[in-house]
Amino acid sequence: MHSRFYLSLLLISGLLVISYLGLTAYHAVMPEWKYYQAEYKDLVVKNAKDDATRKRAMAMTLGFKQVYLKDLKREDRCINCHAGVDNPLMEGAKVPFKKHSGNYLVNHPVDKFGCTVCHDGQSFATNEKEAHGKGHETHWDYPILPLKYVQSSCAQCHDFNMLAKNGGEKVAKGEELFREKGCKGCHKIDGVGGDIGKALDGVGNQPIAYFPMKHVIGERTVFNWLKQHFVDPRALVAESAMKVKLAAGEDDLLTTYALSLKSEEMPKKYRRINYANPPKYDGEALYKMYCSACHEDGDKTIYDEVFKRTVPAIKNPSLLRTMNDANMDVIVKEGRAGTQMTAWKSSAAGLSDEQIKEIIGYLALKRPAEQHEPFGLAAFTGDVKHGKEVYEVNCSVCHGKDAKGGENLLGISLRSPVVQKKIDTELLAVTIADGRAGTSMPPFIKDSEVLTKQDVADVVAFIKEFPSAAK
Amino acid sequence: MNETGQSGISKFTGNLKTLADSFTSSVFRGGKPSSDKARASVIYNNFFMHIQGVKTHINTLRPSYTLGMGLIALFLFLIVVASGIFLMVYYNPSLENAFKTVKNINNVVFGGKVARNVHKWAGEGMIVFLFLHMARVFFTSSYKAGREFNWLIGIVLLILTFALNLTGYLLPWDQLSYWATVIVSNIMMSPKELTDSLGLTKFFDVGTFTTDFVFAGLNPGKESLNRIYLFHVMLLPIVISVFVGIHFWRIRKDGGLTKPEDFSVRNSDIGYVLEPDKTSGIFPTHKTYGLMELAKGKTPAVDKDIENTVMSWPNLLIAELAVLMVTLAGVLIYSYYIDAPLKEMANALIPENPAKAPWYFLGLQELLSYSAFMGGVGLPSAALLGLALIPYLDREQYKVGVWFTDSTGKKIAVESFIISVIVIIGMLVFAVNFGWLRNWFPEIPQLVITLINPGSIWVGFMILWSLFVIKRTGSTRMGAMALFVMFLVSYVILTYFATEMRGPNWGFYWSKSQWPIH
Repeated sequence: MHSRFYLSLLLISGLLVISYLGLTAYHAVMPEWKYYQAEYKDLVVKNAKDDATRKRAMAMTLGFKQVYLKDLKREDRCINCHAGVDNPLMEGAKVPFKKHSGNYLVNHPVDKFGCTVCHDGQSFATNEKEAHGKGHETHWDYPILPLKYVQSSCAQCHDFNMLAKNGGEKVAKGEELFREKGCKGCHKIDGVGGDIGKALDGVGNQPIAYFPMKHVIGERTVFNWLKQHFVDPRALVAESAMKVKLAAGEDDLLTTYALSLKSEEMPKKYRRINYANPPKYDGEALYKMYCSACHEDGDKTIYDEVFKRTVPAIKNPSLLRTMNDANMDVIVKEGRAGTQMTAWKSSAAGLSDEQIKEIIGYLALKRPAEQHEPFGLAAFTGDVKHGKEVYEVNCSVCHGKDAKGGENLLGISLRSPVVQKKIDTELLAVTIADGRAGTSMPPFIKDSEVLTKQDVADVVAFIKEFPSAAK
Repeated sequence: MNETGQSGISKFTGNLKTLADSFTSSVFRGGKPSSDKARASVIYNNFFMHIQGVKTHINTLRPSYTLGMGLIALFLFLIVVASGIFLMVYYNPSLENAFKTVKNINNVVFGGKVARNVHKWAGEGMIVFLFLHMARVFFTSSYKAGREFNWLIGIVLLILTFALNLTGYLLPWDQLSYWATVIVSNIMMSPKELTDSLGLTKFFDVGTFTTDFVFAGLNPGKESLNRIYLFHVMLLPIVISVFVGIHFWRIRKDGGLTKPEDFSVRNSDIGYVLEPDKTSGIFPTHKTYGLMELAKGKTPAVDKDIENTVMSWPNLLIAELAVLMVTLAGVLIYSYYIDAPLKEMANALIPENPAKAPWYFLGLQELLSYSAFMGGVGLPSAALLGLALIPYLDREQYKVGVWFTDSTGKKIAVESFIISVIVIIGMLVFAVNFGWLRNWFPEIPQLVITLINPGSIWVGFMILWSLFVIKRTGSTRMGAMALFVMFLVSYVILTYFATEMRGPNWGFYWSKSQWPIH
């Protein structure tokens, strides 16, 4: 035989082609899920209690199955392996053939909801590793949720009042904690909340790449990041200003709630939330939600280690006595420029005027009956030049030479628009004269008599001159 | 009508009975060839085979001469087309569906994953084997003796293959393809660096124009998916098929593949050829011309070396069939074990870090990191121009068809290989350790960096070294040899370096495991 070289090449490679085509076809005919289905079939036949069931089980054909969720525009293929998920015979069977626990499937039939709506994972996939989406190499941002966090999915369609009573206790408790721990004091949701932290809209289904995963212990998943950042924020993000005081277990509850904050709304067909009546909170609840993270219970001034400044006691009677509702309204709405106190008006942090009124009403409960002594500023004419001298001697130590406040200075900025325009001068004069009990602001007339009333009037005039004076 | 007395019906039933035979003989006219005449007519009567000669030179059949590289590249193209049509059945080029349909091909379509792998790897294999084919053609001086223009067509085919691969890269619409396409659109924008520094941008912004034309916008998006799909499945395959046709037609017209002048049959050749059938047939072994070998001009086949040819059927065809089968087996086995990558769905808000172009452009991206214009346009243009000019600047017509020409050629090739490896690695080590002009003189004008950067210095070195070789050996062939070896070495080293050793922010890392975690 001649042309041995090419003939043998042809023969060997031809055999290889045939065998690898065969292998490919074999895997196409017998994919991973088919073995599970075969095992499931045996199991049903074995567990069948009567002949009719057994006969039906014997007649079961193995084949590809999927639930097409029309409104979500996605296929859900988990049932290829989790074949017994709604079969009562599979109560005690092992995973993946086990029947779904509880009676969740009564109201959430698999053929309408599929599995990934609640459990996450990759609905396209048809093998275990990719379907569960665990590990970086599956390139899937939403790995299957650990069972302790699954309730986060309930909140996509149900409101928390309903969930608290009907099997969604964890996520409902998480939402309550979220309000009471004052998370919205720093984090915005739907445009409402402070701006020290990141807005939390959609945090529940943000891709993994949005989170700094460097210091996460264990698998790099969003839920692990959330949980660990509730335990020690600065372990994950060194420059975080977040405060946490959580009891054991609360981290998981808050994680569950945070995961429920998804950016994509469920189609209307699925939703059971009544948007017509959003929950209403009273002044105390609102204070907890938006103020307590920094001001805590508001009774005493706190030095904040993270902010490196003092946080004033806003329920302090001396403050409440000096400040009427109108001035408080201005400060809450406009915030304190140069501090962490954000402007809470509806166009900024998003609180409605009504809610702010509720909060001030709640604070005002602590206001003493007796009013502060009126200063009577109108009776004096301020001398700006002398005011400047007084300022430099007495005020600049804390408020800064340029009166801008700032880092390592105890005083607030006196150049902020609030001080300059919104607050009435009488309040300024009273504050200088009487000081602010419970803060670092000492009284300059009361008790000490460092300044005269004329001096105070001069300083007030000087402060008011800032906008027109050159820097 | 009924002259023989046979009834019409019995004629009809007779025809019906012989239907299979008459059909077969209408397709395969002459049946299985049993004589050299019949073997010849198989070739020249068949549409697909007539592009080959009736007789083939034994040198062509020696696997050590061609290594089958060009043929493998062709077969890879055919595999790509076949698997591509299969994928087209399921793929949908729209933002909502592109990624999803690729997932479905991987997960649900019968054999879809392997088909996609085959398509991907065969396509990228085309690039590898085109380079190897080009190297074979170059080192055997096969761009000479009337084949100068075919070398140019080969370069066009190389460019088209790059384009075909690149357009396919975008279609899955995952993170990998999206950010690679962003990089490539940046490369296309890179003439802007030069036009900006020369102040020409306001007259003709060539970078923006080409990017806009190819991607239907300056960033990959909805429209680009559609347009790239059109390029990928229609325009480029048609154009490439036409050029493949011309390429093969010219091989035929140039008298087949090159062969050494002093060719002589060796004993080992018996392994590759079937001896001619001496008892039957019209061709004597010492004939003076072949039916399809009548060609104009001084093509090498006319009147020369006829005794060393054998019948193409079956000698050439069995060789071709074997190469086809080897190619198929290789692609299939590779695809069976190694999956084509598919990352998360494209997200314009999450940049991949590092965002890398497809591997075959990574050498360019490495040069791009020094100067966008030089890496993106200047140097690749210079490289392609240099390759295209080789047959016109080296016109020495001796020792055609001999690997590395002669002992000097071998020496020059080895020497150039060693020198280029040392110089290019040294250059990379220098650039990684000490940075470049921008790091030392932050205020330096961009034009200076555009002109003086590791890439342009390397090209300058290649040119000077080749001129030095020409001067030393007195042979333009040796100069071309030095230049080509250095080109291949730099392509391979730069590609490897940028693939394996460049990490986030294009920083240097010894391996991927050292990359910092985000």
